[in-house]
Order: sequence, then C-alpha cells, then structure tokens
Amino acid sequence: EKWAATRPKHPPTRLALQHFDATYGTELGSLWPSIRIALLSEKKYGALINVFSSDVSLAELQVQGCRDFINDGVVQTSFEGGAKNESSDVSMAKAEADGLQESPLQHSPNLQCFVFQRGDIRRFKPARPDQFGLFGYYLMDAASVLPCLALDVKDGDTVLDLCAAPGGKSLALLQTQLIRFLCANDSSVSRTKRLKQVLQSYIPKQFLTEDTLRITSFDGTMWGEIEKNAFDRVLVDVPCTTDRHSLMEDDNNIFNKSRTGERRSLPQLQLELLLAGIIAACPGGEIVYSTCTLSLNQNQSVVEQAIHLAQEQHNIHLQVVSLRPLVQMFKNTFHFAPELHLGEMVIPHLAANFGPIYLCKLRRLT
Amino acid sequence: QTATPSAQHNQVISPDKPAAELSVSSLLDMGFTDSQARHFYDSVSNVRGRRDAKQVVSTLTALFVLGLNPSSVQLALDKCPELYTVKEAQLQQRIAHLRKLGLVEGSLQRMVVHYPKILTVPVKTVKNVVQFLRQKCLFTTQQITEILRESPAVVLEGQDQLEYKFQYVYFRMGIKQAEMVRCRLFRFSLKEVRNRHAFLERRGFYQTPDKKGQTTIINPKLDSILNVDQDTFVTGVAQASLEEYDVFQRLLAREWKEKDLEQSGIKAH
Ligand SMILES: C[S@@+](CC[C@H](N)C(=O)[O-])C[C@H]1O[C@@H](n2cnc3c(N)ncnc32)[C@H](O)[C@@H]1O
Repeated sequence: EKWAATRPKHPPTRLALQHFDATYGTELGSLWPSIRIALLSEKKYGALINVFSSDVSLAELQVQGCRDFINDGVVQTSFEGGAKNESSDVSMAKAEADGLQESPLQHSPNLQCFVFQRGDIRRFKPARPDQFGLFGYYLMDAASVLPCLALDVKDGDTVLDLCAAPGGKSLALLQTQLIRFLCANDSSVSRTKRLKQVLQSYIPKQFLTEDTLRITSFDGTMWGEIEKNAFDRVLVDVPCTTDRHSLMEDDNNIFNKSRTGERRSLPQLQLELLLAGIIAACPGGEIVYSTCTLSLNQNQSVVEQAIHLAQEQHNIHLQVVSLRPLVQMFKNTFHFAPELHLGEMVIPHLAANFGPIYLCKLRRLT
Repeated sequence: QTATPSAQHNQVISPDKPAAELSVSSLLDMGFTDSQARHFYDSVSNVRGRRDAKQVVSTLTALFVLGLNPSSVQLALDKCPELYTVKEAQLQQRIAHLRKLGLVEGSLQRMVVHYPKILTVPVKTVKNVVQFLRQKCLFTTQQITEILRESPAVVLEGQDQLEYKFQYVYFRMGIKQAEMVRCRLFRFSLKEVRNRHAFLERRGFYQTPDKKGQTTIINPKLDSILNVDQDTFVTGVAQASLEEYDVFQRLLAREWKEKDLEQSGIKAH
C-alpha cells in the first residue's frame, strides 16, 4: 500500500518529466540520462561571498573543504595557458578565424563563490547576519554566477538587469563594486519586494542610494520604448520552464495544466525581453541572455531570432561574443554541453550538480 | 560441576557421564581428523570456556546425524558458534520443521553449512516469516521453500524490512512473485535493490508499469539489475560512470534518511 499511495494522476512534476523525456531525449541524445538523474537528485549550491559583511566565514568554509571556484578557475587557466602553448595557439587561431578574438576575461577579485568539491555532497549552513544585519554569503546555483561573469562589467559601467528578482545575479553584479549605476527591474511586484529585501540584507545602505541603484517593476518587454541606447551592460535573465524546479516542485509549476498557454508563449516572451534588452544597450554595449532551461526553443532559437529581428526591425547589428574562454576557465567546476552552435550551457551532473544554465553573449555593433 | 583448571586441558565433563565427554580423543572417535580435532577442541575451549560439554556433544551429534561430514561440521560451527548453545531437542525440532517446509535432503544440509544460523532461529520465528510470505506477499508454498533454500537469511530480516522490500519491488518495480523468486531477490538488501532501481529509474531506464502492466520503455530484467557485479550494472545496464553511481548512492541514502525522519516526525505529532 505504501507504494500505491494516492497521488494526483497527473502532477505537474510528472508532466514536466514526460515533456523533457520527449524533447531532451532527442535534443540531447546520449547526454540526457546523466542530466536527467542529476535534475531529479539534490542540487548543489554555491556560496556567493558578501564582501560587505564583516562575518565572512571564509576560513570556516575553507576548513570544510570548499574553494572559491572563480579565482581557482582564473589561476588554473593562466597556468595551463603558459604550459600548453600549442593548444592555446589552436584556440587563438580558431577565435581569429571566427572573427571573435577576445581579450582574456577579466573580473573583479571581489567576486568570490565557494563550492564543495566535485562529488562532495555536503551542504552549506544557512548564512548568518553580522552585527550590522548583513549576511556573510548568499546561497545560489553556482552556475548562476556565470552570466554575471560573462557580462564582464568594467569600472564605471551602467548596467540593466531586466528580470532581476529575487536578486541573486544583481547581488553578484554589485559585489564587483565596479558598477556606477544599476537598474534592477522585475515585472512582478511581489518579487521586486523580495529583491529589495535581498539587497538590503547584503549591501550597506550607503551603496543603495538613488544615484547608484534603481529598482523598478516594469514589463521588461516595453523597456525599449522607455530607455534606448542607454546601458553599457544588459543582463536578460528571462523567465523559462525552470527545468529543475518543474521536475521537483508541484507548487507554482509551469507544467500545471492551467498554465499551458503561459508555458507555450514563453519563447515569444523571451524573444521580446531579449530584444528590449538589446535596444536598451548602447552601441558597443554588451548583452547577456540567460535561462535555467535546457530547451533549444528557449535558448538558441530565441537568440537567433533576436539577432535577426534586431537587424530587420531596428537596424541594430549584433556580434555573438564567444564564451569559450569562460568555459575553459571553469570546466573543472561545471559540465558544459559540447558544441553548441550558439552560446554555452552548463549541464547538470551528479558529481557537479549545478545548472542547467544557458548563456549567450551579444555585442551591439551599431 | 566445574572443571578444575588442570582438568580443563583434556576433559571438561562430569566423570559420571563418560558418554558426554569432550576430548580430543572423543573427537577423533567421531571421525574428525587429527588436526580438525585439535582445531575444534581449541576453538570450543576458547569460545565457551566453562562450557557444558554435554551440550557441545549433542550439537555435534545432531549435525552428524543430519548427515554433515566432519569438515562441514567444523565449517558450520566456526561460522556460527552460537549453535553450541542450542538444546538438542530444539535442534531436532527446527530441523524437522525445515523438512516439513519442503527442504529435502541435500538442500537442507547445504543450507545448514552455508547458513548455520538458521538452526538458532526458533520455529515460531520461521513460522511467522513463512506465514507472512504466504499471506501478505502471496507466495506459493513451493516458492516459499525456494526462498528459504536460496536465501535463508530472510528469517532474520525483520518483518518490517521484508514487507518494505516486497512492496517496493512489487509496486514500484512491477515485479511478480515468480520473478522475485527466480532472481533470488531476498538475497539482496533493500538498500542494494533500491539503489540500483532508483539509479535506473532516474536515468530514465526504468518505469513503473501502469495498471495494465504497460510501460512506454522496455525495462531491464530484474535478473540483469541484481545478479551482476557493480561495474557491469553501472557501465553496462545503466550506461553511467562509477563516479555517478558513487555519488548517487550517498545522495539516496541521505534522501531516505531524511524522509524517514520526516515520517517519524509526522507520526510523533
Ligand atoms: C529567472 S527569473 C530571474 C532571476 C534573477 N535574475 C536572479 O538571479 O535572482 C525571471 C524573472 O523574470 C520576471 N519576469 C517575467 N516576465 C517579465 C517581464 N515581462 N518583464 C520583466 N520581468 C519579467 C519574473 O518575475 C522572474 O522574477
């Protein structure tokens, strides 16, 4: 009887699994079983260190065997680059051939994210507030830091986070302390409230003034009409099928029968958001599109169409910026999908159970 | 009637009952070889110290009567020294009960040598397990005999654990009794079964059949899940890496531990 326990016949988590089996089974082929089991098992977190907290228990984390994957990746890669000239020549040649020669990725040393080693399934303790009420770290999917790293903010940049709530990526961006002005937007009013709370629990008041931070609740698809050609960097972290959540939680699940329409229209919404983000960026500015789904329809296809429409409808020329250097840097921490024709994707794996995170970077040429 | 320390070396008996003597020479008489007799005598002395020699002799006799040869007897007693403490009448009763359950000559002896502990289990316990297998799990008499023969340890597994395992395999895996018996399911711990099944299921290689017994994929046979070594299972059947299986087993253990805690928490309220 224990096993025949009564469950609703078609819980959304089940529908999600059926849907993913059908689509990802084909799209991802032999990669799918390993991703599937990782999605259905406990995910790993990263602890994004709060530079503003006086109670950053770094030592404590290190004792537990955690490491900062960001700086580790940087050190590792520069070492490898020195040692293996040949292979770096090859990748340079390829980058040049693609017309995508990149200056090596730089990032703020303030950005630190601790993770447990590969295969280590221990969990982080919940963060504690210090004497000023600021928390020592923010627990998030470590792969969610990648879109922020890919955005590659420079000192004095103005940044738009178009879909910002609950605020993990905004928080990561602010940790760099490079941003002159951040606009954090999310159409959901309740989620924007949550975003405010998060920022207030991590960042001292003096950095949250009106001339450095604006929090808004607009429909992001309309942004292009509000503010064109304005931001050095735009993060477009769109709503998606949130694959992991959809498989694990029946509450608030987009595979609920009643939300079929909403789910089907996601790619269209994503496209409109990305286009709005592109328009909001200034010429020469950079845009990162990201999702937490494996879906081709919500990832590469959206980017492809956005590039096309930006040119057709707005006469904006875009260049796809290779994220290979980023992949190279962090391949010891994450599993990346091989050979995506557009963008990069962190795929979940039991030993490194982060993601899925898709990211693609564009640069406005005009 | 305790033996004096000096007497202990050779004989530990009541002098008025020479038949119950346990000495190296009496062991030789029973058919043990020289070295067996020595080994046996020493190990008995070590284990039992001030033992009841009569008891030891009756155990030995019972095993001989059952038809075990001296080296089998030694093997059984080395594996399960508790047998020395079992009263002869109980031994006879238990053996008779096993015969009644259909364990014919040959398989009965093999079972005792392989799993001597079976003779330390009260008839009542065995009866309960048999009744459970028959009434709750609907195994046939013949199947129950086979289960006992192939996996005698079921009698000591504990009813809760047994019920859980049966229900897991029956409902979650959709396996019928005959196949459970054929694949010697009861030789495997619940944990092993669950680890392997859950690993396959989450990878998308195993589905619980619906009411009509249908699945949209072809499930691997229970035999190929259980009766293969770990490497073959992981890389062959599940097409995964050993690293993944290693991590998965740890994750699953934690999941179940926390689920159990949660459930006992609910019960407590
Ligand atoms: C993937 S979440 C963003 C997560 C966030 N970037 C973080 O790192 O914490 C997507 C968000 O998009 C918001 N959203 C949905 N439709 C939107 C729209 N039309 N305009 C702006 N935001 C929207 C949702 O409320 C949701 O909070």
